[in-house]
Amino acid sequence: MIVAPMQSFAEILIVLILATAAIIIMKRDMGSLIKTYAAQSFLVAVLALLFFVETGGLSLLALAIIFLVSKVLIIPRFMGRVQKKLNIKRDVQFHFLSPITALIASVFIILFVYLSFAPLIAELNRFNSSLFFLGATVGISTVFMGMIVIFTRKQTLTNIVGYLTMENGVVLFSLFLTELPLLIEFLIIIDLIMLTLIATILAFGIDSTIEEFHARLNPFTSLNKETERKDEEED
Amino acid sequence: MDSLLVILALYAVIGVAVLAFTVFSKTHQTMNALAVGLPVSYLVVSLYALTDAALPSYGLGGGYFLVDHLSLYEILITAVLFLLAALYACQYIEGSIEIHEMDRNNLKIFYVALNGLLMALAYAFLADNLALFWILAELSTAFSAVLVVLLNAPKNIGAALKYVFITSTCMLFAFIGLILIFTLTEDLLGAGTLNWSTLMSIASTLSPAIMFAAFIFTFVGFAAKSGIVPFHAWLPSAHSKAPAPISAILSGSITSVGIYGIIRIYAIVTQTAEVAKVSWFLIGFGVFSMVVAALTMLSQVNLKKLIGYSTVENMGFLLVGLGLVGLSTSVALFWMLFYVMAHAFVKSSLFFSAGIIHHQYESVRMERIKNVFKLQPFAAWSLIVGGVAIIGMPLSAIFIPKVMILLQAAAVTPALLIGLLTVFLFVSAAFGIFLVKMLTHKDQDAPAVGELKPFHAGWGMKIPIVILLAAVFALGVFFPQQLTDLLNTIVTELGF
Repeated sequence: MIVAPMQSFAEILIVLILATAAIIIMKRDMGSLIKTYAAQSFLVAVLALLFFVETGGLSLLALAIIFLVSKVLIIPRFMGRVQKKLNIKRDVQFHFLSPITALIASVFIILFVYLSFAPLIAELNRFNSSLFFLGATVGISTVFMGMIVIFTRKQTLTNIVGYLTMENGVVLFSLFLTELPLLIEFLIIIDLIMLTLIATILAFGIDSTIEEFHARLNPFTSLNKETERKDEEED
Repeated sequence: MDSLLVILALYAVIGVAVLAFTVFSKTHQTMNALAVGLPVSYLVVSLYALTDAALPSYGLGGGYFLVDHLSLYEILITAVLFLLAALYACQYIEGSIEIHEMDRNNLKIFYVALNGLLMALAYAFLADNLALFWILAELSTAFSAVLVVLLNAPKNIGAALKYVFITSTCMLFAFIGLILIFTLTEDLLGAGTLNWSTLMSIASTLSPAIMFAAFIFTFVGFAAKSGIVPFHAWLPSAHSKAPAPISAILSGSITSVGIYGIIRIYAIVTQTAEVAKVSWFLIGFGVFSMVVAALTMLSQVNLKKLIGYSTVENMGFLLVGLGLVGLSTSVALFWMLFYVMAHAFVKSSLFFSAGIIHHQYESVRMERIKNVFKLQPFAAWSLIVGGVAIIGMPLSAIFIPKVMILLQAAAVTPALLIGLLTVFLFVSAAFGIFLVKMLTHKDQDAPAVGELKPFHAGWGMKIPIVILLAAVFALGVFFPQQLTDLLNTIVTELGF
């Protein structure tokens, strides 16, 4: 289905996307976290473009353009502004797992995803090509790695990056599996952008100015057991 | 067919009109009246649709929507809850503004989100395309998160964030499941589809292994929406921090969306060879949720959290009931569907009563609640009656479906029956202990009684509770023939 040089190019892109997911798990610096996310979205967009060149499916072109506009340009810039206003430079608080153990855990997750997909190869036509199987495995692994970011980081902003990474993983997975009808693609992107906005609005406090917001922020920067316990005691 | 298309459009037209009027209305009364009007009109339209001979009609609006008895049944329950919640909200929200819990400026956002939520839920129940259902379910998360966050407390922001993150994260997994189903049908039919009615007709030819994988992925997402352990962490905090009418809606309607999604997917998977595996999978998660919830309930000191965990326990029981369908007979489905309604009604009445308690003491924690019978005798009694109803005492509408599902469980394996009974024992003990402690908590020597001004709960707050509890006990002794017919039709339509 895809010619040899294209195939190796696609493989390189897939590996790079996996690498960006690993970097997102490891990074503590907020600025580079957001930049890494933008780079990851860019790679997914390039992959969609590559598929468009190969198959000529217009929905792939639409997907690539939506990605370039929203996830490479708008969302990272928006989050960068939020980060500057909040003046959070680094996210150094973790729960459950440290970045290193999280990375080791994600290696096991990739293996697990690979092993659980292996028996399904015979069931789906698309999986017969090794490239598609690799892409699907990396897609799901990226979803899980994004989930690890959500569960191990305490900063809301980092959690949002984790959620967006998961979303990239889902899109990557769907790129290799199927061409969803265009309408649905649009709706998904709209829905996801809206959710990002909501999460950011929530992170900001509804209508407060930044000063007010800092007072509000402190109790919930760490959505962890501590607050939960405090919650139980005070209320 | 044509009249159903009109009905489908009516939901949207009325909804958008109400939203527009809400945006331009000035007083709280007008906004509240509009929020009461919307569910009333949905009730009328849905009841009219039920009489339409063309039911069930699939493939409306280019295959994106479906109107069948199950969707109308769920819309009816949701509309009743929204109607009562809106009636209750008028005075409750005024009270919240008085104790500086909420800003008057946020009133408009509150009512816009409330009406938007009802629209999103109604269309989610009407969606035939599973991806469309997914999007509408996500929309309902967004609207309800806004409703949770509107109170001026940092803890509400925390609770809403937790809610959005956990459910959206899990819903992404559900989307992976949908992609798998789409690919599978693409291989089979040439063009992929996510239409539930099409999937139902080709279900027996779908690959069992992929369908099982897809089921697990979608289950994760929909289970998070309905607060199944281990995806339940958002539920107790969101339920306890939200304003009382919103807690009632979260517990009765939002969790129903998740269960509804699971029912639809399960109806497809039961036609494949994996039926036993999937059924035990559901029962396992159901029992696990019930056990975790029951043990947590025993140590609760927060009234609304106790009721929230009770929702987790009841959702677990619904999963058990659903799982039993694949193992024994469709009787379990009939009673499980009835249980959805009974639970929604009882749970809302409990949250409404807790709302009165909250405005009296500005807290729902046990140590703050004193002299309830003196200050809020109505809330005390409605909590007792609601507590009796929710643990499934005879005469309550929860009792018969519970017994019938337990009988089905006993037919599968007695061990399951004994396990479930033990959990119910713990749950009843938790409710009993909490209510006895809370209601007998008195402050003899402190002049607290004099200091605390009794909160005047008007009829607007009391009538919804009375209606719900009356309905629950009426349904416990009298079973209308129309309801039996409706539930039987749903069971046949789902193909069991």
